[in-house]
Order: sequence, then C-alpha cells, then structure tokens
Amino acid sequence: MTNGKTKILIVEDEKGLREGIKRLLELEGFQIELAERGTEGIQLGTTNEYDICILDLRLPDYDGIEVLRQIKLIFPNTVCIMATAFASYDTAIEATRLGAFSYIPKPFTPEELLYQIDKACQQRRLILESEKLKKEREERLLELAYEKGRLNTIIKSIADGLLVVNSKGEIVYFNNSCLKNLNINSLKIGEYILHKIPNQIVGMINQLEKDNDPNQSLINQIEIINNNGLYVEAACSPIPFQDGKYSGVVIVIRDITQYKKIEIIKSQFISMVAHELKTPIAAVIGYLKIILDENVNIPAEKEAEYLERSAIRLSGLVELVNDLLDLSRLEVKEKKREFKEIELVKLIKTTIEFLDLEIKKKNIQVEFSSEISEIKLNADSSEMNRVFTNILSNAIKYNREKGKIGINISIDENYFVVKVSDTGIGLKEEDKERLFQEFFRAKNEKTRGIQGTGLGLSIVKRIVESYAGKIEVESEFGKGSVFIIRLPVVN
Amino acid sequence: MPLIVIIDDDVDIVEASTLILQSRGFSVLSANNPNAGYQLIKEKNPDLVILDVMMDEPDDGFFLAQKLRREKNNVPILMYTSVSKTIGFEFGANDMVPVNDFVEKPISPDQLIEKVNLLLNK
Repeated sequence: MTNGKTKILIVEDEKGLREGIKRLLELEGFQIELAERGTEGIQLGTTNEYDICILDLRLPDYDGIEVLRQIKLIFPNTVCIMATAFASYDTAIEATRLGAFSYIPKPFTPEELLYQIDKACQQRRLILESEKLKKEREERLLELAYEKGRLNTIIKSIADGLLVVNSKGEIVYFNNSCLKNLNINSLKIGEYILHKIPNQIVGMINQLEKDNDPNQSLINQIEIINNNGLYVEAACSPIPFQDGKYSGVVIVIRDITQYKKIEIIKSQFISMVAHELKTPIAAVIGYLKIILDENVNIPAEKEAEYLERSAIRLSGLVELVNDLLDLSRLEVKEKKREFKEIELVKLIKTTIEFLDLEIKKKNIQVEFSSEISEIKLNADSSEMNRVFTNILSNAIKYNREKGKIGINISIDENYFVVKVSDTGIGLKEEDKERLFQEFFRAKNEKTRGIQGTGLGLSIVKRIVESYAGKIEVESEFGKGSVFIIRLPVVN
Repeated sequence: MPLIVIIDDDVDIVEASTLILQSRGFSVLSANNPNAGYQLIKEKNPDLVILDVMMDEPDDGFFLAQKLRREKNNVPILMYTSVSKTIGFEFGANDMVPVNDFVEKPISPDQLIEKVNLLLNK
C-alpha cells in the first residue's frame, strides 16, 4: 500500500471460496496471497506485513482467533477481517479485543466483501498516516531532547558559575562551577537559597527586584574564602516576564582569584618601589635640612661629607631608576631585541676592562680561563653586557680588599657554563633563595654600607631565563660565592 | 640630659637625626638593626627610642616594639615611617603597632624636636 498495490492475505481452508476471493480482489487491483491452513497463515502473516488479512474463524488446524493473535503480535497495524459462518457474540467480542477490525458473515456477496475491504483500506491508510505522524513527533522530541541536552552539557561545562533564582528566592537552575565558585557543597532545584549564598549577592538580587529595570545589571567582587583563597566576580541580571515584570535573576559567578593575586603582587611591588625611591630621597632631604637649619650645629668638616653622601645617595637613586626601567622593559618585552652574533670571551674581557678602575681600587686579582677559545652566541649585546656587568660588579663590590675573582668558561652538554667566583662575604643559607627576588638585599654587618638597588640580580635572572638559560649560586658565608650562568648552545 | 636611642638601617638618616638631636642638647646612641637596637635599649635604658619601621629586616621595627611592650618596657617610642601614604596604610598606635607617635620621612628638624619634646614631657 505504501509503495503500490495493497497486499492482502487470505487464510481460508475452503478452496473454492479462497480462489474466488482471490480472483475478485485481483480484478480490483489488489495483490493477493493465499494460505490454506492456520500454520501457513501464521507463517506468512508474521513474516511479511500485509495491509489486510481475511481470516476464516474456523480452520482445520487452528482457531482463526489464534492466527489473529499471532499476526497482531508481530504486526499490530495489519487490518484483519474475520470471516465466519458461525458468528457468535463471544467470538466477535474476543476477536475485537484482539484487534480484529471487522466481521464478515459467510456466505457473503462480492459487494459485501468489497465494501468491507474498502473500509479496511481506509482504516489501514489512517493507521499508516497516524504512525507516520507519531514517528515524526518522536523524532522531533528526540531532537529537542538532544538539543536541550547539548545546551545543558555546555552550560554545565563552562568555568563560570551560573545560578538562576526566581522571585521567591528559589533555585531554578545552577551548574557545577556555581557550586565550586561559591564554595557550596550541594544545591537542590527548588530549594530556598538566599541564606546559602553570600550577602553581597542577596543584596544585588534585592536591589534588582526593587528597581525592576530589565536593562540593569549589577557586578560585585566577593571574597568567598579569606586570604585570597577564593575571589569571585558575581554579575547579576534580572530576568523579565513577557509583560516586563521581574521574575528572577541570572547570576554569573567568575573565579578571579588569580587576577586578584596578580593585583596584590603588583601593588606590593609598587609600594616596594615607592619605599626604595623614598629612602635615598629622605636621606638627602635630611642632610639638606640640617645644613639649612640654623639651630643645628654642624662641625665644619662634616658639611662637605654630608653633601658628598647626598651625591652618593642620589647617584644610587639614578641607578635604581635605570634598573626599574630595564626591569619594566624586560617585563613588557616592549624593547625590540637586536639579535646578533656575540663573541662571549671577548664580551667578558671587555667587561673586565670596563670595571678595571674598581678592580684596582680594591686590589683585586682577576683570573680568566676558558676551555674554548671562541664562543659564539646569538643574542642582544646590550642584554648580555648587562648580565656580565652586574655579575662582575657584584663580585667586586662584595669582595674583600686584595681578594680574587675567578672567571671560568666551559661547555657542558648543551650549555655554555660561565662561573664567576669571588672571595667576598658570601651568603647565608636563608638568603640564597631570595637572592634573585626584586629588592632583596642580604642584610648583615658585612653588607652595611655597600650600595645597591636590590634589582641587579633579578634583572640578570630575567635576561638569562629569557634566553632559555639558567643561573644559580653556590656560596659559603664569610668565604665567597660562585655564580653559575648557563646559556644554551644554539647551532 | 635625656638619652635617645635611634634604630634605623639607613646610616644617613641616623647621622642626620643624631646631629639634629645633639644640637638640642640630647645624648644620642644609635644602632643599625633591630637586634643591636634591642641590646642597646637593655643596656642603656634610654628616655626615648626612635625606631624605623625597617620593613626589609626579618625582625622589623614593629616586631621590636611589640617585643619591648611584651617585656613591660614602656619607654616612649617614636616611629619613623616612609611609605604610609603610598601604601594607604593609616599608622596609628594600637596593639599591633605599640608606639607612641609617628614621624613621616623625610624628617624635618623642627617637627622631630617637637615630637621628641612632647613625648619626653608626658
């Protein structure tokens, strides 16, 4: 019926009747198959789906009711017509209960049969049509469920917490990140939650409800776990009804802990910078004020000394500003590097010559040795200069009078290794780790009076690491330090 | 002649402060770190302590002030600060910072003398 002719199965033990019906219906354009016995009928009727079956109620082997039952079990949409000469009320009821469509009493005229067949065809068409609609609806529902599920999965997976609360303060929706970002163990849809969420969020919800402005959103930063354990930004927006009235809020809760931590580090750094800048200024102003103050008696020989000290402190300040600028350039990588081939041995020797005056002042002996005569690096020469100037001037500054500085270059697998050793004051164990931090300066009786910005080594470390290199220090307090710089060999 | 102990890790600040105070007739002793300062206070029992915050020392100025108060030493303490304005922290005498008054660096001779006299005359 779906594709072409309507297929009809006739199960009838009486040969003449069987063949007669066949001929009649074939003339009407139906496709007919015949079965003589119940077994045969069940076999055919349960393997192919016929549009219509005409079943004799009394068959030699089976009851027609049984054949009906078996066929309907497999193909419930096959329209079955029961034919019988012994119509009884009971069998009619039983057949109808099992899904027979109609009843045709024997003997019947061709017109009677065709009338029944026509009605059965209509029934079959209706059944197929409604089946088709049902299937379409199911498919659409499935699609809808899939779509809903997909959206749900997406919302559940995002890192931002999502919480929807209705006007009664009950949860309408939430995702997993919402629990995480509010540090709540569990929530239930429909539960009243205003006592479970931070006061600041409740405040925003109340504000939005009061204002009833669909375009208004409120944002607040909230500390969920103290000491920057968890910091979130909660953005609340009202959800209007179709009539524009307030029906609830949707709250997006974003974890901004990392951002807050960076903010704190930044502000700590700024206050450290301010402190470092202000300290020498305070010293210079201190001296200038006492020189200018008539009530302060300064011994004549001291005045020149104070001016000299002021000049030294101001030079230190200039050095600090330069270091800060270098640090910020390294930080933002704003400065364009000029890569070129640098000869490392030559660079270090030039640096030693540059620092000759200070070396001679302290009567320091410099020993230079290298396993390799020529080392080529591809780097920015001003940066490399900075590295070795800082390291070598430290080796001079923190050395003793008539001390020694050893510079040794070797090659270790994929690194050029430059070791700079001194016979200076050395480092205490606890100072080693913090040595490369900004503004860290080892403080003890031996470092007092030695000028420094506390930025030199952190600049060195940043530069060395930006070339995928490493810097470390070995030291013994009171004896001296060895700074070991490794720079990768690039072919 | 009242004795004042100055504790500050900046040698120039110590030098300038010493000179201001000596010019007004005070006896001055100084130390460059909190530990040496603590020893000096124990030994000399001064009338006033001028103490720098010394934030970069492991045991800073706050720590020393707390330690003295814990030991029931109620010597007046005048604290030098340099960054209170920049970091937005309002210094005030409390349990955390048990000092009597503050002087913001850079110091001016008149202001320092005024605060010192006020604390000594209490």
